[in-house]
Amino acid sequence: MIKKSMWYSILTIASVGFIVLAMGFYQAIMVTTAVNPQPPAKAPLTPVPVGSTKLSSKTANSFQLLILGDSIAKGTGDEKGQGFSSYLPESFKNDTSKEILVNNAGIDGLESLGLLEQLQTKRLDKTISDADFILVSIGGNDVKSILSLNDLAKEDQFKLRQDSYLANLKQTLKVLRTANPNAIVIFLGLYNPYEIVSNVENTRLLNTWNYNTQQLVEEDGKGIFIPTHDLLKFNIGRYIAKDGLHPNSAGYQALSNRISKSIETIVTGL
Amino acid sequence: MKLFSLIENEVIKMIAKKRLMFVLAILIVLISVFAYGQNQTLIRTKAQLSQRLGITATNDWRKLAGQQLIDMKNRLDSPYMDQKSQASTRVRMEQLQYNLDNNINPLEQSAAKFTTKFMEQSIFLFLPLLIIMLAADMVSGESSSGTIKLLLVRNVPRWKILLSKYLTLIILEVMVVIFAFVLSALISGFFFGFGGWLAPVATGFKVLAGKLDSSSVLNVPQWQYSLMVYSLAFFVSFVVGSISLMISILVKSTAASIGIIMSTLVAGNFISYFLSDWKITRYMFMVNLRLTDYLSGSFQPIEGMNMIFSITVLLGWAIAAVVISFVYFTKQDILA
Amino acid sequence: MSNTAVLELTDLWKTIKGKEIVKGVNLTLYPSQIFGFLGPNGAGKTTTIRMIVGLIKPTKGSVTICGHSVAHDFVKALSNVGCIIESPDMYKYLTGMENLLQFAAMDKTISQQRIKDVVEMVGLQHRVNDKVSTYSLGMRQRLGIAQAIMSKPKLLILDEPTNGLDPAGMTEFRNLIRKLAYEEGMTVFVSSHLLLEIQQMCDVVSIIKQGSVIKTINVQDILHDDRIEWQVDDPENAIALLKKHWNIEAVQLKKNTISANLSQNPLDKINELFIREGIALTYCSTKQNTLEDLFLDLTEGDEIV
Repeated sequence: MIKKSMWYSILTIASVGFIVLAMGFYQAIMVTTAVNPQPPAKAPLTPVPVGSTKLSSKTANSFQLLILGDSIAKGTGDEKGQGFSSYLPESFKNDTSKEILVNNAGIDGLESLGLLEQLQTKRLDKTISDADFILVSIGGNDVKSILSLNDLAKEDQFKLRQDSYLANLKQTLKVLRTANPNAIVIFLGLYNPYEIVSNVENTRLLNTWNYNTQQLVEEDGKGIFIPTHDLLKFNIGRYIAKDGLHPNSAGYQALSNRISKSIETIVTGL
Repeated sequence: MKLFSLIENEVIKMIAKKRLMFVLAILIVLISVFAYGQNQTLIRTKAQLSQRLGITATNDWRKLAGQQLIDMKNRLDSPYMDQKSQASTRVRMEQLQYNLDNNINPLEQSAAKFTTKFMEQSIFLFLPLLIIMLAADMVSGESSSGTIKLLLVRNVPRWKILLSKYLTLIILEVMVVIFAFVLSALISGFFFGFGGWLAPVATGFKVLAGKLDSSSVLNVPQWQYSLMVYSLAFFVSFVVGSISLMISILVKSTAASIGIIMSTLVAGNFISYFLSDWKITRYMFMVNLRLTDYLSGSFQPIEGMNMIFSITVLLGWAIAAVVISFVYFTKQDILA
Repeated sequence: MSNTAVLELTDLWKTIKGKEIVKGVNLTLYPSQIFGFLGPNGAGKTTTIRMIVGLIKPTKGSVTICGHSVAHDFVKALSNVGCIIESPDMYKYLTGMENLLQFAAMDKTISQQRIKDVVEMVGLQHRVNDKVSTYSLGMRQRLGIAQAIMSKPKLLILDEPTNGLDPAGMTEFRNLIRKLAYEEGMTVFVSSHLLLEIQQMCDVVSIIKQGSVIKTINVQDILHDDRIEWQVDDPENAIALLKKHWNIEAVQLKKNTISANLSQNPLDKINELFIREGIALTYCSTKQNTLEDLFLDLTEGDEIV
């Protein structure tokens, strides 16, 4: 009868199924517990940040620039692949004949917390203590997602993000100063790449962010805040890259000029 | 062997009672509804994205993915990169590369994705419900209809009869899991296409010192991941089935058994949220049902809980349930 | 009649929730015997039967079937038993035949042919492939009997077997039981409230009251005796006379009525004596003894405990 033949098919399917599932079960356990022999981690590459030289020690005829932070620190968006690492030393050449050594530890997408953690690994301590100038670009990724929210959520989220960002920033400055009490910290302000579609509200928030950042930087005796918003506001077409977010070559050059102008006296004095 | 005939008897009874068909019908209806719902969500999300960013962002994914790949490569190359994140970055890169190579928009659904997701969502409540419907009736149904009298007055020892029912239950559990897989893949395939089985999925998350550890994360093909998910689902079915059978034997009423177990399961959700500090919470079986979360790394590590722990706890419950069932069933007086 | 007892109940006791339901029942049955178990509601009949087949464990005492202990040698003991406990609850969602096949699968000695024969024996051949849910009570009863005799058991236990059978069915049933007992040598154990049926079917009857067997009798013996009722003006004298001359135990029923069992004694001589002794005899009649009378006598004034 039908029922009996159903029983036989059920028995077969179930037996096969049981074996298959048992194998899967074993795998699931292995994957979540056993210490897997991992594919050997890639051999650590000798760091070759684009367009700069790194010497192991500072001499009397050179000074060191350390660049920390997000994609802008790194130089993303520059169609020539140069970024601050090249243009800033270029700008410095006007004020000094010394050699400028650059270390770039920028990481795309880095947020303030990530920067703090990066510093806390202590792997950069030597580099920090050797630095004469430390350029920091951070915060853009912290604030990025808020701007697209609707107005109701924006205010609250902004406050939240800003508070944690400022706390991270404070801590970061502390860590830097502990490793190097003397270097000049150059902090880049945020700009609004979406200037075209922006509104008063967003600008107000941007200004608030920059203002509070500036306050903190000023508390550190040897820090300087470099605004970028005003420089780029009407020059989006000229200074912003095709991705609509990062500066392009011209943009990085313009910013580098502004920076070097702000500290030219210090540079000459070194 | 007599046990074989006994199991045959039990399976035939199950088929005739149409319980199995009923469970399959529920599966079909629910999967269809979910697949349809997912589809609608997908359509809506795509529309929203286009609207918000002013560009057809959905089709521009290639540029974005390419950019992300380059960023990640640079991160990996950077000596200042945190060791721990290396593995997860590499895994993510493999996935992006796969999408680019096979021209798969990461937004899109696939039969493979849906099948896996469906079971991940069902494993802790919906799946147990189906199992309970099969298990709760096996003994209490015979008690209340009186057929147990004829079943036990045979020249077959009581424990063998219970064993045949138990093994039948296991067979049915395998069937339910297999059918869930097949039906998900088929039905969602009509909506999303039947592919996606080779796409890489991240797994290999471990729990170290109570925290999520991603240092040995790796990619496995979707079919393998799905197999693991469904085998964990079977294990959960096995445990829930054993416990249901025990309750069915103790309580002798199908309705009451189902009620008891369902409330326990639902309570489990509350307990894991509200009482996560209690030491004893970890040892409750309902709190340990989300085994697939360990695979996907999306769990809230409560102290001391990891895959081995959960499996051990569940196994302990199952064994205890089986022992209690057998002892009680063989010793009890059938008065009704 | 061989000397191997088919069923032996030795000092069987059962206490449920502190109440003693069965108090020390002893019984021995032999092949080809039809045994009746009688008692008012709550006397402990069903409990005893359940203990025989292993559904309930005795508090004390033992059950032995064909030499095998139910407690220690369950499988061998039960191999010799077929039974119906109260209403035969079959699987309603299966057909009659499927039900029988289920039970046959559990006992390798039952062949396909045997099943067919049994179905014919109980008269279900036309309906056996229909779902049991469509059966009438009588059909379900027949199916129950079929299931019980399928394995050719040495001991057949029937709890209220004729419930739901029409008179024709009852007669058929009775004949079937007699056939099974006398031609196939089965021992049949019947528990029923239908006293007339028991009387017509059984050889030996035990009457159980409040957990104990109070009397075990051969049915033949009861029926054999006549019961006489006299209406006399001096009952005490009459009773004394009966005792003195024929050693007959008479009882006083109502004011002037006495009754006694007469086996072979001459009624005419007794009446003669009454009259000679000056006892006025107004009424004399013979009453066929029934089991019911005996039953009511023995269990008189019972409340359900």
